[in-house]
Amino acid sequence: MTTLTLRELVIRSMRSNMKHNYLYFFAFMMSTALYFVFATLANDSLIMAATFKDIEFVLLLKVSGILLVAIMIIFVIYANNVFLMRRSREIGLYQLVGLTRRSVGLLLITENVLLGMGALFIGITSGALVSRLFLLILLKLIDSKNVLTISFSSSAAIQTAIVFTILIALTLIQTLYKVYFTALIELLEGERQGDQPVRPRAVLSSMMGLLGIVLIVAAYLLSNQTLGPAFLLQILVILASIILGTYLVFRVTIGWLFYQIRRIKNGQLGLKNSLSLAPIMHRMKSNALSLTLITVLSAMTLTMVAIAYSLYYSAESEARAMLPYDFIFENNEHDANSFRAELESAGLTFVHQPIEAVRLTGRFGTGTEDRHSILLLAAEQLQASGADIVVPGQGEAIWYSGLRKLLSTERNFNFPQVAYLGTYGGYALINVSEGINRYMMNFNVQGSQLIVSEATLADIRQLIPIVPEQEIVHIDTYQIALMSDRAAASDYYERYIKADKYRPSFYAYYKDAHLKFGLTLFIAGFLGLVFMTATGSILYFKQMAEAEQERNCYTILRQLGFGEREMISGIIRKQLFVFAIPLVIGLVHSFFAVKTVSALTLSDISIPAAIAMTIYTLVYFVFAVLTVRYYSAFLNLKFIV
Amino acid sequence: MIQSDMKKTVLHAQQLRKSYGIKGNVQQALRGINLRIVEGEFVGIMGPSGSGKSTLINVLATMDKATAGKVVVEDVDISTMKDAERSTFRCNKLGFIFQDYNLLDMLTVKENILLSISLGKMKKKEVEAKFQQIASDLGILEIAHKYPHEISGGQRQRTSAARALIHEPALLFADEPTGALDSRAATSLLEIMEKLNRQRSITILMVTHDPIASSYCSRVVFLKDGMVYSELYRGSKTRQTFYTEIMNVQAVLGGDHVDPA
Ligand SMILES: Nc1ncnc2c1ncn2[C@@H]1O[C@H](COP(=O)(O)OP(=O)(O)O)[C@@H](O)[C@H]1O
Ligand SMILES: [Mg+2]
Repeated sequence: MTTLTLRELVIRSMRSNMKHNYLYFFAFMMSTALYFVFATLANDSLIMAATFKDIEFVLLLKVSGILLVAIMIIFVIYANNVFLMRRSREIGLYQLVGLTRRSVGLLLITENVLLGMGALFIGITSGALVSRLFLLILLKLIDSKNVLTISFSSSAAIQTAIVFTILIALTLIQTLYKVYFTALIELLEGERQGDQPVRPRAVLSSMMGLLGIVLIVAAYLLSNQTLGPAFLLQILVILASIILGTYLVFRVTIGWLFYQIRRIKNGQLGLKNSLSLAPIMHRMKSNALSLTLITVLSAMTLTMVAIAYSLYYSAESEARAMLPYDFIFENNEHDANSFRAELESAGLTFVHQPIEAVRLTGRFGTGTEDRHSILLLAAEQLQASGADIVVPGQGEAIWYSGLRKLLSTERNFNFPQVAYLGTYGGYALINVSEGINRYMMNFNVQGSQLIVSEATLADIRQLIPIVPEQEIVHIDTYQIALMSDRAAASDYYERYIKADKYRPSFYAYYKDAHLKFGLTLFIAGFLGLVFMTATGSILYFKQMAEAEQERNCYTILRQLGFGEREMISGIIRKQLFVFAIPLVIGLVHSFFAVKTVSALTLSDISIPAAIAMTIYTLVYFVFAVLTVRYYSAFLNLKFIV
Repeated sequence: MIQSDMKKTVLHAQQLRKSYGIKGNVQQALRGINLRIVEGEFVGIMGPSGSGKSTLINVLATMDKATAGKVVVEDVDISTMKDAERSTFRCNKLGFIFQDYNLLDMLTVKENILLSISLGKMKKKEVEAKFQQIASDLGILEIAHKYPHEISGGQRQRTSAARALIHEPALLFADEPTGALDSRAATSLLEIMEKLNRQRSITILMVTHDPIASSYCSRVVFLKDGMVYSELYRGSKTRQTFYTEIMNVQAVLGGDHVDPA
């Protein structure tokens, strides 16, 4: 072979491959671009550090970058494998006509390197163009007023180039392995038919199939339980059970179900089912692992995005539930008054309300003998400060526990129940009529918050003598009317906080959460984007390989006289299953995951979760349409979208 | 001859031509073929390799288009039909048996057989009855739920035959149906075809290079270089006599260059 012919070969095969593999090229390019954006943001640590102060932004980006590379490796290796399979006959033919393995290897390497480098180059260029856009989105999310200028980061480019060169090298190894270590006859036989169909063994597969479902349902039920003290172990068990269950569902349950359908049809399967049920059923065995991966990744992405989204959007209400008052001073009238003077001189509109509370020890709740600190607050005083609250009756109390559903042992409490207050020299009994999972006083004030009427509070004070463990707490509360004034007020307040005491103000707490969750949302969305494209593409590539294997089948159908329309509807039904099965299982998984997590937050997470799920479904739909298009074009069927 | 003229014509090909390749390098596979097949005939087509047998059967069976000429099947001119019409026509009126069976690997024997009538509006019970009938005729009832890779070549070919016959086609085409079978399986298939032809008067057109196979036919047409070279009628001759006649023609034709595939 002369060099010229080899070069011609490279060009020709690249051209034909580009036509078929544009999605691979695109996905490779897109992940390069996204990785570059990541690297740019992580590398610009100076600017970022200024914006994010103490938050471990860079670390977060690094971890996400590793995740990104991991999914990229899986994806690229998988896609390359599909291409090698598709081209194995071509590789065999080259060898048959006399090209040495070396020159075939060289041909494929040249091709891979050229394609890879092209994708890398375009990826970095477009990454540089869109990194600004991503930065703007991030800044918008965290409401930053900073104008960040971001320039082309050559260190990010180098980092991206290194990572993706390694990735290309991996595909080269894979390719060379195929060329050097596959027998010629195997190459020529190419991708034939995949596995030969087998009937599932009746008892074993129905048992295993059932086990898969049982494992998943058990994991769902377990995730609905209160997390106990060994909650890490519990989460691990849930995850293991879900993953194993999902694998079994793909490996056995679905095949078993399809087999039952076929048995009921008693031979009269019809064309559509013959083109969808039958091949899917027979391929489940070899596809189970990758489908499990896809499903778990999808569920993870969905859960991650939904949680990040809801954390971000509930940051304010969550902060309010924790800190009902913008600023408080506990037993420090001196500071409280000077703070007040500062607010007045700055001309800010505010409400200042002093509250007299009683802190004592007592016990109620789980019925243990443990005594703990209790803060008694008078409802009338809270009302005066603007709190929306009903005054409990004489001898009655309402417990503002602030506990999240999941972490509380509240479900073991029965209301009403009796609380024993005080011990030294007498005690009082009050009736706790209900528990509410927010706070009425800022959470950093010590003591379980029981709200009583002013009269009840007075009674208790008389009953229980003042001793060191039973003190009167004077709290000055401040509410600032305008959100825009809170920043300035917060600056004054900061000066009264001593380094050793934790006294969060609503504003600082909210800002912190907003920033943290804005960043989390950004990264979750980012990773979600990549995961979505990667899993969708893997399904697409899988179908490319299957189209190749089924080509013969469609030729036969044509000879039998089946029309294009019928065959296309068979293809559509198959793709419906191919995309819907992992999607639906992934959706159900994430539904339960989101449900579990929502018990940890005070606000409603169902809407963001629904939005994330809808977007995911839409993207999968687009992938399914693309796949049907490819499939039809590959089989020379006319399918117009 | 007189007898056949009274019968209905099932297929009539007139001046069929088929050429392959582009200008300058045209290969004429069929060069003006006239062929008339009447109801109930079992026609064998023989000829040396490359003489155009496969091309002819493909054109007659609407799987390929002729360059020129006319094909009429049951009074319908199929040479002017559009692709979609031809598909429907093929599906409803014609049946095929292929040399390499062309069964779908992921379907069971029964599913393969019933696939071709899935588009029709037949009732489930009717379909099942038909299946029972044809499968027991062909002796494949026991393997109905097996996959193609689990059964022998002869069984696969009988499955293929059952699929071709289930919708009661006006014409059954077979291109080298015994080509990949051992002699026992081949004989069994040929006997079945003969029986179907006699008892159900199914019209059959079979391409073969095997004189034994063609001795089962009622007429054998010899092709050479894309044209009809000669024809033999079996009439009331025994199969052995007919076989000898076929061998003689083949010797003249140079039948040593038989098509192996
Ligand atoms: N698809 C095709 N393209 C070009 N030439 C073909 C094609 N199919 C058949 N031919 C040519 O047409 C002639 C007849 O072929 P064929 O009908 O397959 O013969 P037979 O089946 O009798 O062996 C041969 O010379 C063959 O080379
Ligand atoms: Mg032939």
